[in-house]
Amino acid sequence: MAEKGKKMIYYILPVLSIGILVVLWGVLCVQKPDIMPTPAAVIKKIADITVNPISNATLPVHILVSLGRVLSAFAAACVFGIVLGILMGWYPTFHDIAWPVFEIIRPIPPIAWIPLIILWCGIGETSKVIIVFIGAVVPIVLNTYSGIRQVDPMLFKAAKSVGAGDRATMFEVVLPASLPSIVAGMKTSLSTGWMCVLAAEMVVARQGVGFLIVRGMDSGDSALILSGMVVIGVVSALITALLNRAEVKLCPWRTEQR
Amino acid sequence: MDTKAKVRVRNLTKKFGDLLVLDDISFDIKKGEFVCIVGPTGCGKTTFLNLLVKLLEPTSGNIFIDGEEADPKKHNLSFVFQEQSAFPWLTVEQNIRFGQETKKRPKHETDNVTEYILDMLGLKEYRDRYPHELSASMEQRIVIGRSFAMKPDLLLMDEPYGQMDLKLRYYLEDEVIKLQTATKSTVIFITHNIEEAVYLADRCLILSQKPTTVKEEVKIDLPHPRDVASKKFIELREYITEQIKWW
Repeated sequence: MAEKGKKMIYYILPVLSIGILVVLWGVLCVQKPDIMPTPAAVIKKIADITVNPISNATLPVHILVSLGRVLSAFAAACVFGIVLGILMGWYPTFHDIAWPVFEIIRPIPPIAWIPLIILWCGIGETSKVIIVFIGAVVPIVLNTYSGIRQVDPMLFKAAKSVGAGDRATMFEVVLPASLPSIVAGMKTSLSTGWMCVLAAEMVVARQGVGFLIVRGMDSGDSALILSGMVVIGVVSALITALLNRAEVKLCPWRTEQR
Repeated sequence: MDTKAKVRVRNLTKKFGDLLVLDDISFDIKKGEFVCIVGPTGCGKTTFLNLLVKLLEPTSGNIFIDGEEADPKKHNLSFVFQEQSAFPWLTVEQNIRFGQETKKRPKHETDNVTEYILDMLGLKEYRDRYPHELSASMEQRIVIGRSFAMKPDLLLMDEPYGQMDLKLRYYLEDEVIKLQTATKSTVIFITHNIEEAVYLADRCLILSQKPTTVKEEVKIDLPHPRDVASKKFIELREYITEQIKWW
């Protein structure tokens, strides 16, 4: 019974905290009704744009457009980032060559690349995907690299002790041993990617959630701005929940007991 | 020297810079023999073992298995460490299959050996569990099972029960004897626990202080399971303890 009560708490607490947030928001609206739309107004707006298109697209289409950009950049970042991370983690010479360049490029925010990318690639889809890619690839490279460097030396000895060659050691020991770290990097990467796509869309786009926010600003429609923000939060939370599920599937030995 | 020896160690010498750690060690091990290596603390037991499994290269001398120079790619040299070394991402069963699969052993044979080992170690009901879900002693049994499953030409064990309590040690030691007898493996077992050595070994090699040589070989001709309270057992234990003393 106590166990069941404990479990219930985990369902009640999140609802409670979100409830408090909405109430605080409501209180703020009463204070400044002219600049802050009420929660009800935002929900109404979301319902409205879900059926009535803005810039030829309804809300679900805007969300899908943004997600499409993130996912294609994320897929490219996974392939590129994991390969680069493995090379840097496994081959000291490659690390010595690539690491300094990576360290210089890494701290430059993806947003700082926007002007240059637009000059190079125009304002089409490619430039947005590249901007997201720049943001998404960094955590994957870092986590793959450090995952490989932190493989317990004991496991190398264990692999060698049962006759595993270099290839088997790489694919059957080093990679699985670093997988939790790589997956953690992928999680960070996807949320970073989601932030970058909104930044890119706010600068130049005709569709996407970032575009909705800019459109709200241009037309003085604060309910639209907040709708965009709420959607960003919700989608991001859903992505995280999905990734946590994927993590349990990918690394079942790391399942944390709750 | 015995020409039919399974393992022949010849003039094994290891220097780290100017420091002579192992000095001209030679001995033979017969097939299916259980040899314990004991010696004073810091005498280079682990260096010795690392040389035997080729994790280190000797300065001079060599190790032969069935008359050929020991080569981890050609021979099955298996190693159980003091630290836990089960692969955490593999289940108990997958861990036991691991070495057999990297050696590309036929599937039906791997199946049979794996079943046999799981059964023998009482791990059948835990086959789908991950090592972290089990106790430290269970995890060490997985590693021991994984090593015996390789049907090693030579199995080296470096204080595998170092961190376990006395009662559990006896239990696990009996288990190792059972596995060794069943698989006819040749085992070198390193320990600083002399009682353990006398309990397990067919023969004990006593190492000297650095630079390390084989000081003496003691044959232990007692039937298994051994009675640690028997007169002969105590005599042997005390004799070996006396030989290890360097003060």
